[in-house]
Amino acid sequence: MTALSASDLTKVIGKRTIVDGASFDLRPGEVFGFLGPNGAGKTTTIRMLVGLIKPTRGTVTVCGFSLRSQFEKAMRCIGCIVENPDLYRFMTGRENLEHFTRMLGVKASEIERVAALVNLSHRLDQRVGTYSLGMRQRLGIAQAMLGSPRVLILDEPANGLDPAGIREIRELLRSLAVDHGLAVFVSSHLLAEIELTADRVAIIHKGRILRTGTVGELISSQRAMELRVDDPERAAAIVRDLGGTVTIANDLLLLPVEQSETPSLLAALTRGGIAVYYARPRVQTLEEMFLEATGGESVD
Amino acid sequence: MMIPLIENETLKLLRRRRFAIVVAILLVILCMISYSQYRELRESRNANWRAELQERVARYENRLRRGRINESWARSMRAEVRRLQFYLDRGINPEQPTAPLVVRTFANAAGFLLLPLLVAVLGSDIVSAENAEGTDKLLLTRPVRRWKILTSKLITLWLFASLTLFLGALLSYAVTAPVLPATGWDAPSFNGFQFSGNGFNLDGVRQLPLWQDALLAYGLEWYALLAVSSIALMLSVMFKSSAASIGTMLASLIGGTILTRVSPDWTAGKYLFVSALPLADYYTGQAPPYDGMSMVFCITLLGAWAIGALLVAYALFLKRDVFG
Repeated sequence: MTALSASDLTKVIGKRTIVDGASFDLRPGEVFGFLGPNGAGKTTTIRMLVGLIKPTRGTVTVCGFSLRSQFEKAMRCIGCIVENPDLYRFMTGRENLEHFTRMLGVKASEIERVAALVNLSHRLDQRVGTYSLGMRQRLGIAQAMLGSPRVLILDEPANGLDPAGIREIRELLRSLAVDHGLAVFVSSHLLAEIELTADRVAIIHKGRILRTGTVGELISSQRAMELRVDDPERAAAIVRDLGGTVTIANDLLLLPVEQSETPSLLAALTRGGIAVYYARPRVQTLEEMFLEATGGESVD
Repeated sequence: MMIPLIENETLKLLRRRRFAIVVAILLVILCMISYSQYRELRESRNANWRAELQERVARYENRLRRGRINESWARSMRAEVRRLQFYLDRGINPEQPTAPLVVRTFANAAGFLLLPLLVAVLGSDIVSAENAEGTDKLLLTRPVRRWKILTSKLITLWLFASLTLFLGALLSYAVTAPVLPATGWDAPSFNGFQFSGNGFNLDGVRQLPLWQDALLAYGLEWYALLAVSSIALMLSVMFKSSAASIGTMLASLIGGTILTRVSPDWTAGKYLFVSALPLADYYTGQAPPYDGMSMVFCITLLGAWAIGALLVAYALFLKRDVFG
């Protein structure tokens, strides 16, 4: 059961390929993180998902409807904020929401529901121009939730928010996925944020999706043992003599071995006269994995 | 489905205070017109209008005799001479200001630049403002097809252009009626002074009651304004910034008007929409700046411009990728 399915999404402008063959599925009840540095093609991908940009190749299917040939039905399933939560600043929050209920043809009572959902009921009758960024972000989500969509697509929702605001948005997104069964798509260049919010992650770099998987999978596939010893060079030589591979980073030995192999390895090192101060399993963070996957380019 | 969309566009247009500005400009200008007409009325009570008309005719004829003026001006001057002569022959004072006459004159005076400018102010950013403010991303990611959104904007613009014209007529009466004679809707009004070849053709002159004449003039002006709004919509789609689209619209209105006056020899100028814009003037009998511009030509030209502009606007709006 997929709520949204993107297949081979590609956008070529002139000779430049902005997004190259992106494919992924969103499932109901999960937060899907879309991770990549600035300029990786995240926003272009999102714009293709919501019909703002026509893909050069590839298709988007939402709730079983083709975005291209059944635009109205497909878009009824989607609520989104693309880039900034730009709403009409010269109108009040309520007028903005009324504007979009008229476009959707849904009841005005929806406004109270979505305003309560994002905890904005008390400021609804003030002009959006007077709102803080966090409030506009929440109004944006309220707007996206009008008409009870099955898929929520948010572009960098944590951008420009203070830690309390980020936490608030994170909890809201988790609750929308877990309690309301929405498929939530969140893009970000902040690893820590995605690690805390998302169930599954796709990593995009230079327009290509490098990996897709659950946060747990991506991390556990990168298991290693970390050892601190008195003489890393000699210890590394001993490991290599045993036929193992090893890397040295910051005077630490990194060994791609399972925990069960550790005792014999430690015994061999001790026999060779190496003093082992400690050995511990090392879980690669998403950040390290990302650096490895993208060839070391910075992601803030 | 269209009504709620039009409701949205109307709300946004009003909330942006564009229409309030337009009404304010209209009021200020009409108050000034009203005051000047009131002064004229006071003076004309003592003046001998017949002698004044005769003097104007003589002045024009003198300048025509002296030559050295370009052909287009000479032509309209000759036309004016014949027109004044016509009033003199029939003993009608065409200059006695009344409120209904101001309403009627407003169609011509405002129709050639003021009303198109005001409509440009209303319409030139109806799409580009959404671009500039980033709200187009929300507008276009709702389950509504793009052509419906653009159509709702077009209809809203047409509604407000019509409303502007209607308010112009209404306000010009409301502002002048307290200070000028307020009656005279059935006063005779002469129209259809046609310029043909190098003579002035009086065969087509019709005498209509002023109210009918005014209705006709306003009807033509309404048509012209719908065409201008369509062109404004196209510019609004073409440009991302509101300033660029309003600026281009104003520049083409003003630049085109100057061009038709400065270089009447460049006959291709008759295909500019600005040349055909003063429909009400041509209806009253003012000679168009170029040869071969009949009323039918002007109406067809404006229609063609409007259709062309709408085709471009829809093609761009439906096809284009929306980037940040």
